[in-house]
Amino acid sequence: MNDYPGKILEINLSTGSISSRAVEPDLIKQYLGGIGFNARILYDEIPVGADPLGEENVLIFAAGTLVGTPFPTASRTEASAKSPLTGQFGTSNSGAFFGTQLKTAGYDALLIKGTSQTPVYIVISDEEVQILDAAFLWGKECWETVDILEQKHYGAEIALVGPAGENLVRFASIENGRYDGWGRTGLGAVMGSKKLKAIAVKGTRGRKVHNSAALLEAVRKGQQLIKSASSYMAFTEYGTLNASIPYGKNKAISAHNFTLGTLPDWKEIGGRQIVDKYGSRHVACQSCIIACGHWAEIKEGKYAGVKVKDLEITPVMSFGATVGLNTEAIIKASEICQRYGVDMVSTGGVLGFAIELYKKGIITTEDVGFELDFGDDEAAFKLLHKIIDREGIGDILAEGTKRAAEQFANADRYAIHIKGMEIPMIDPRGRWSTWSLGMLTNIRGGDHLRCRNPVENLRYNDKDEEYMKERFGFKKPMYDRLDMPEDLKSKAIDLESDTVDIAEMSKWAEDLINLYNSVGICIRPPVMEKVGPTIIAEACRAFTGLEISAADLMESSERTWNLIKLFNLREGEEVDASKFPRRFYEEDIDGNILDEEKIQAVLEKYYQVRGWNGRTGKPDANTLDRLNLVDDLG
Amino acid sequence: MKRIVVNTEACDGCGICQLVCSAYKAGQWHPAFARIKIKQLQEFGLNVPVVCMHCTYPPCEIFCVMNLIYKDPDTAYTLRNVERCIGCRACEIACPFSAAVWDPLNEVVVNCDLCGGTPECVNHCPTGALIFMDISEAADKKRREAAGLRILEASRGFSE
Repeated sequence: MNDYPGKILEINLSTGSISSRAVEPDLIKQYLGGIGFNARILYDEIPVGADPLGEENVLIFAAGTLVGTPFPTASRTEASAKSPLTGQFGTSNSGAFFGTQLKTAGYDALLIKGTSQTPVYIVISDEEVQILDAAFLWGKECWETVDILEQKHYGAEIALVGPAGENLVRFASIENGRYDGWGRTGLGAVMGSKKLKAIAVKGTRGRKVHNSAALLEAVRKGQQLIKSASSYMAFTEYGTLNASIPYGKNKAISAHNFTLGTLPDWKEIGGRQIVDKYGSRHVACQSCIIACGHWAEIKEGKYAGVKVKDLEITPVMSFGATVGLNTEAIIKASEICQRYGVDMVSTGGVLGFAIELYKKGIITTEDVGFELDFGDDEAAFKLLHKIIDREGIGDILAEGTKRAAEQFANADRYAIHIKGMEIPMIDPRGRWSTWSLGMLTNIRGGDHLRCRNPVENLRYNDKDEEYMKERFGFKKPMYDRLDMPEDLKSKAIDLESDTVDIAEMSKWAEDLINLYNSVGICIRPPVMEKVGPTIIAEACRAFTGLEISAADLMESSERTWNLIKLFNLREGEEVDASKFPRRFYEEDIDGNILDEEKIQAVLEKYYQVRGWNGRTGKPDANTLDRLNLVDDLG
Repeated sequence: MKRIVVNTEACDGCGICQLVCSAYKAGQWHPAFARIKIKQLQEFGLNVPVVCMHCTYPPCEIFCVMNLIYKDPDTAYTLRNVERCIGCRACEIACPFSAAVWDPLNEVVVNCDLCGGTPECVNHCPTGALIFMDISEAADKKRREAAGLRILEASRGFSE
């Protein structure tokens, strides 16, 4: 007897109806949880061509299978809807404590349909679900809203949108409490379009586990694995900022809207030692043994008193590199993003884009109302507030770089996006790796979080002539311990030439990360390096009592990936869209430039590895047949 | 006299102790069923584990109208006969640390019993924020650190 799966809670804001239903057995076996549920449910529920900001769009939150157990890093909840930014499958993942509350309230997934006429918020306390009037919250920034709701609903975890979401800024985020968020793909605008200000969840029910002792054993093993990862100690100390200096050295940061490759004082601005200067304590999400987050505080200067959970690589790259701000302004920028609810990566991209347009004379002081320059924090923040309030030129920029570029002559060259979503931090011209290819193959557009080589080695940056390989660079024990089927391992990693095959590794990495997003664990490098499907299967078996093998998990994950691809194709994704911005093929940084044809060849190889048509990038019928998806081929 | 000693500096708020405690003590996984609680004080950037201190003169013992709370003669743990608990929750409010906790499953108040001498929360704490050690030794360690700090500060005063 155990509590897996929970129920699916369905709330229709148009009619005010609230219902819950059991998860269909088929959904459990084939899709597991988290992003798997989201993919299946959204594929069935959202009509083709639906307006992302209209009544037909469906917003779904699903906590991963293992969330609510102490399995290391099991805290994550996947939120999905059709994206207003890309027009395709929009999805984003966040940790902290929301998922635990959702699970203990008895729900695996929360489905929000329809659109309310007036602002509302949802309160969930086990079976008791209410839709309440949110007029008194509408227009308030996120931290103030959290303060009010924490008073009213003590102990609840809160997902909410800020003014950016209310104003339908296309890259608005859904904030997860004060400091975390479902940032990418503009889900905040979807929630804002539904006139839904917040969701407060409190669960009081315990989760019964199929085999408690076995689960605790899997937890212990999982913790040991993560602690033995080569990057574990560095991560507990500095978090994601470890990667910042290596990328700067390789001229692979997004400096000044991807024009410079690196900045002369990058080490001081964005190096990991800023943790020592501004950070204090570490802070963990539910069940995490890495605790990569830090409390950061600015003690003096014009931003004195700013206090956030921060010092992650994302804001540092977005605001420090793309916009060229200094460290204290980066921390202030994260605060603004968290309080007003916008995605940090896209915000950095849009600001960098606007500043470059200004420098090129495409937009002028008259359009903006003030001068813009890289590194000018006050101007950047003024512009950011204009975007959040959709005021003047901010109204155009709030549409994201792709749509904004259509409004100005000759501007599309400076819009750095893939499939409409702004590219994060890493410049593939400076460093070509599995990660770079992953931006093209990503199911949500220009993004870095759905594909990364589990054994990425930042010490080396050898570009292979044919773009097919990246350096492995570790000793044999690392290869031996990697949790991957042996035949696949020998295909993906060649010890003799010490290389990783990018196409093969991309598929494995995508499926692995997708699995993490299904079971609700985190993709921090110490986890990716060590926690493979074997230990996850062990934990899933102990928790659910289902007979699941590692191979089943990977197949389920691949099924989800293919289904999302089908969703995107159904919404009109074109094969040509999987391309970097023109700039990367035409302008070099210190001789680093991308070769379009060679990248196309890698991409075609990747399609073949996936069992997709090499030319069109569409899943083959027999691949879909193998994954039980053949009925979904419209 | 071994007790759970809390190092707030090291606690990052992962909450593993709560889940493990609920699994061992309630057979179900939920932070609310745990005898140890992590209180997040986001305004200070702090996470504070709260757990029964097993006081020598426990206020909860005085406030229990049913006389269910007692000091174990061998271990000096503060224990209780929950079977006869009427759920008035006076002990919960009386505790200066709010370390007596409501058990929503059985509708009684419970406190940490140190798992009879091998507290599982301590075994599973990944950061070393929870330490099971002799309370006198812990105090002495603290005393030593404080003395060292005082001397350091004094010597700094001389050099400046």
